[in-house]
Amino acid sequence: MAIIDSAVAGIALVTSAVMMGIAAYGMTYSRNFIRQLLSIEVLFNAVLLFIIVLSTLSPALLTGFGVVLISIVSGEVIVVVAIIAAFYRVGRTLDSSSIEEEGV
Amino acid sequence: MNPGQYLPLMASITGILMIFVSYLVVRSKDLVYASTSLAALGILNALMIGLLGYYIIAIFLTIVYVGAAVMFIIITVSMLGGRSKEIKDEYKGLFTGASVVTVALLIVSSLGAYLGYTRPSSIPASNVADSLLTGYTPVIALIFVALAATLIEAIAIARRG
Repeated sequence: MAIIDSAVAGIALVTSAVMMGIAAYGMTYSRNFIRQLLSIEVLFNAVLLFIIVLSTLSPALLTGFGVVLISIVSGEVIVVVAIIAAFYRVGRTLDSSSIEEEGV
Repeated sequence: MNPGQYLPLMASITGILMIFVSYLVVRSKDLVYASTSLAALGILNALMIGLLGYYIIAIFLTIVYVGAAVMFIIITVSMLGGRSKEIKDEYKGLFTGASVVTVALLIVSSLGAYLGYTRPSSIPASNVADSLLTGYTPVIALIFVALAATLIEAIAIARRG
């Protein structure tokens, strides 16, 4: 059973590593605010998986930590989406580079 | 036949699906489809976490993250309009993505942490609550205040425009 557990953990780690790369690609290749937010959410999913595999010392503590992490990210999403909505209402654009150009 | 022997196969299928759905989130032209793919990614992530043995986190991720946060993104993106003009820089993205994958895979292979991984036998919800409420009460209180402030701040920003 230990070999099976290690295999599952290895697959999860490789998956999270590839997802981190995809998220980094998405954050840098597009200047659309929403695309960048979605890429950050992909990164969050990858990091959550990564932390779960790496922290095997205390399962109960890790479960508590995971619950706290998910709560904070959910709050962060609400604020960022509210800022994007307000930004779109003012500037009628979702291009992040327009902040530097127009100071919207 | 032990059903546990199918775990690596299920994890492999879930992992491949997760990578494919992540690619859809990043590359899908319509942002509504991209955010819907993010919901699928959250569910697949919960499935993978469940395969690793952390059922409470898997359930919490599905209910709070997919059910509330991602649904909020989908509804907002639908209201703003799914298709908008995007300025893209493919080479910059490819270079950054390849660099991050290389570094992450190097860390994974050098740590070898997955070799000693064992599925937790059973984590009762009461143990989790105990560890949170006894040792980390100030942290929990801080999170309650921060989330309440977050909600008020989000409403204020959205109303002000």
